[in-house]
Amino acid sequence: MVDPLVPPRCIAMSKRPLAAARDLVYNSELMSDHYLGEFEQIVLLAVLRLGDDAYGVPIRREIEKRCERKVTVGALYSTLDRLEAKEYLSSWFADPTAERGGRSRRYFRLEPAGVEALGRAKSMFERMWKGVRLA
Amino acid sequence: MAELLLRRLVPGRAGEIIAGDLREEFEARGGGRIWYWGEVLSCVAVRLSPHRLTAPDLRQDLHYAVRVLRRNPGYALTAMVCLALGIGVNSTVFSMVNELFWQPLPLPHSGRLATVGRESDGMACSYRDYLEFRQRASAPAGSLFSGLVAYNDMRVAIDSGGMSHIVGADAVTSNFADVMEMPAQIGRWFRPEDDRLGSDPVAVIGDGAWGRLFGRSPDVIGQRVRIGTQRYRIIGVASPGFVGMSPPHMVEIWMPLASQPDVRDLLANPGEWERPLVQMIGRLADGRRTRDVEAGMRALDALIRHDFPRDNAPAGAVTVALATGASRPDVRRVAAPMAALLLSVTAVVLLIACVNVANLILSRSAVRRHEMAVRRALGAGPWRLARQTLAEGMVLGAGGVVLGLAVGYWSGRLMARSLPGFPHGGMLALRLDPDWRVVAYAAAAGLASAVLFTLAPAMDAVRSNAGVSRRMRQRDVYVVAQVGLSLVLLIAATLLVRALGHALEVDPGFAMAGRLEARLSVSEPEYTADTGRLYLDRVLGSVRAMRDVQSATISQNTPLSITAARCAAPDASTRPRRAGSDIVAAGYFDTLGIPIVRGRPFAALDRQGAPEVVMVNETFARRYWPGKDPIGQSVWLGCDVKESRTVAQVVGVARDAKYASLDELPQPFVYRSLAQDWAGSMTLIVHTAGRPEKFTAALRATLTALDPNLRVYEIETLEACASGSLFQVRWQAALLAVFGGLAMVLAAVGLYGVVAYAVAQQTRELGIRMAIGAQRADLLWMVLGRGLRLTAVGIGIGLLLSAAATRLLGGLLYGMSPLDPVSFSAATLAWTVVAMLASYMPARRAMKVDPVVALRWE
Repeated sequence: MVDPLVPPRCIAMSKRPLAAARDLVYNSELMSDHYLGEFEQIVLLAVLRLGDDAYGVPIRREIEKRCERKVTVGALYSTLDRLEAKEYLSSWFADPTAERGGRSRRYFRLEPAGVEALGRAKSMFERMWKGVRLA
Repeated sequence: MAELLLRRLVPGRAGEIIAGDLREEFEARGGGRIWYWGEVLSCVAVRLSPHRLTAPDLRQDLHYAVRVLRRNPGYALTAMVCLALGIGVNSTVFSMVNELFWQPLPLPHSGRLATVGRESDGMACSYRDYLEFRQRASAPAGSLFSGLVAYNDMRVAIDSGGMSHIVGADAVTSNFADVMEMPAQIGRWFRPEDDRLGSDPVAVIGDGAWGRLFGRSPDVIGQRVRIGTQRYRIIGVASPGFVGMSPPHMVEIWMPLASQPDVRDLLANPGEWERPLVQMIGRLADGRRTRDVEAGMRALDALIRHDFPRDNAPAGAVTVALATGASRPDVRRVAAPMAALLLSVTAVVLLIACVNVANLILSRSAVRRHEMAVRRALGAGPWRLARQTLAEGMVLGAGGVVLGLAVGYWSGRLMARSLPGFPHGGMLALRLDPDWRVVAYAAAAGLASAVLFTLAPAMDAVRSNAGVSRRMRQRDVYVVAQVGLSLVLLIAATLLVRALGHALEVDPGFAMAGRLEARLSVSEPEYTADTGRLYLDRVLGSVRAMRDVQSATISQNTPLSITAARCAAPDASTRPRRAGSDIVAAGYFDTLGIPIVRGRPFAALDRQGAPEVVMVNETFARRYWPGKDPIGQSVWLGCDVKESRTVAQVVGVARDAKYASLDELPQPFVYRSLAQDWAGSMTLIVHTAGRPEKFTAALRATLTALDPNLRVYEIETLEACASGSLFQVRWQAALLAVFGGLAMVLAAVGLYGVVAYAVAQQTRELGIRMAIGAQRADLLWMVLGRGLRLTAVGIGIGLLLSAAATRLLGGLLYGMSPLDPVSFSAATLAWTVVAMLASYMPARRAMKVDPVVALRWE
């Protein structure tokens, strides 16, 4: 198992603050194999919450309702595809329906690896929040 | 259209799912077109996201560029609209070229469909060869194709609502729909039993014909209609959008090959291996590539020829190519130069648009001097600044591409609807739907133009000390280039338009005024040659008796669309050569006003049983009997040297005329007498005293009164036929005129911008001049003079360029000189007027300058 607090060796952090900031942006792309991004967490949680009813439309509604932020269909599906490629999610196709103009739905389900990643992220945040008080 | 874009960008199942989601939410929201577009564009943005493609530095540049442009929406929008116009016309023309050369057929898995042809451009093989090929090459016994279809393109007359309509048709084998994997919209496609000898003739009609001729009524299934010489039962309607396998030629009727008379004859006569010839299209077997299949088919071809030897086997090796674009090589050959011309013209339009945007960026970089200075002071190197300009160009280019695709989509629609029609309208259809190739082309054009129009400003940013005057000079150069380039297009368009007029004045060799033609079908089973001739005599009799009719005659073909040819030789041993040919009744030469230069025209004594006679034209006489008297010479008609040929005596020589088109060279021509030759479809030509258009209804009434079953189609004046034969040059003239006009507008905007900018820069100077006593008229001329000087230089360069470029139009000018002074001066004059207007508007503003305000300026 990967320890979330030790960055993988392939990622080098610069000592100079400005360069470090730039590196952080750049590395966040590389690191995405090991960490869940914020939006990825949100999407995984939404799928988890919806259970058997998790396909594109309700996932979006769930996120928009709970997070009060707009989610575009392009962003949602690129994230879902990425999560599926990491085997955190799996998906299957249902039968076509008339209300969708004869097209089928793609349902998503959380895989054990996805549950584990969510757990990791949660415990990381809990450790970080421990003893912190705002204002 | 949004959905179309989505489906093109996100192919396959993923696109389906997203489209389904959007549909569901669209319904739930109860509409929201803008929302829908936003969602689709979000997919585009994710697909093309800089996150995926670029390093973080460039990403910053792009973000910054977007912010800058968002703060200056007017500037951004102007630049994008300029680009969109340029990219739009490019993508429209490209989608036309795409359709003709690369687009696969609108069928499932059409990437696996391949046409089988011959290197000689001829038909693939005979019908019996096809049966052998099918058995040996396609499943289940063969392994090259999973299915192989034979078909024949033809034009047939279909009866509906008391009229005959000429439409494109394909006679196909019964496995057609299975191989094409195409279901019928209603009814069914052919079954193997439809291929059998003596089966009930059945037909499937296209979606277009179903709407046009049968009002989309489902009762059409089971109806019997007359198609060509037989009555067919309609059994199905093809799926919408499918217009046959040789676009842009539109096919609207499919019949089983076995229902065609020549195939029926063949099936009854097992010894025939040479005829009829068919074309082939097949679906490649899984895992097979065209190259393997071609090698396999060549081997099979050799085997079949060895097993079934014959004298006249199709020439050339077998070719197998994926079925994309216009599958007919002759269509490709005709279209290629036209495509090249149009693509280069639209490239010039885009270039002009780019120059406009470059001009805009330059004038903005003057405004942004401070900003640049600050960034340089903060340590930004010159290349960093240049890259920033480039990133801005990219963003503008991307916006231009998106807008341009929308412009291209709509202008394609508009073009398909409003361009001058093709001859035999409705026989050709262009599908101008954008696919990934069009999008890729537009994107490439956008990228190239982004680099192009930011190059100069970026260089400018690199050279830190570029002053105002330098920029001014650069802008002047741009305007001169724009004027020059757009003048080239304008001159080319004017030349083509004038050539069109010129062509209509070409002497066709026969009289057109007051003449009307009507196509009649006098074919089996209603008429044989003998009853047909009797019937046509009656037609001629009653038409001649009509009021206002001066004369009437019959011929097989309509003048200026005679493409029929037959083989002719002056004696039995000479190898026959092809000569144009028509069958005409007595009185033909009188009615059309074609002078007889020697001998006599056909007369009553040339009847059946009498010695066979022909008439020839002057070119024919010159070719075969130079310096001799052609009257009384023999002509051997027929291509096949072994078969019995007709020998006929020349009784007269007619003056040369134009036969197939107005721009053809003189060609040898043979006339046969209607009394001694026959064809099932004839043209009635009537010379009326009044206006022929008004005569149409009366003529139709007379003809139907004579025989209600008579099938008449295409009643048209000869003048309309003649102008129809000029469709190619008409098309090109119309397109070039549009593009030339667009180029001129873009260039005029550029000129206006430059002069207006100069006025803004010179406000102070103008104020001082006015304060020390300059008259307003002097100022007007000062400003106007600047615009006109630039225009004059541009026109000079444009004239030189045009002189070189118009040579390329040589073949389309109907003998007019490519340096036609009228076209050159008219276009030049037009540009001068436009330039006056474009510089007058800023000049008037200069006149209104208040010296007091001007002196306080800055």
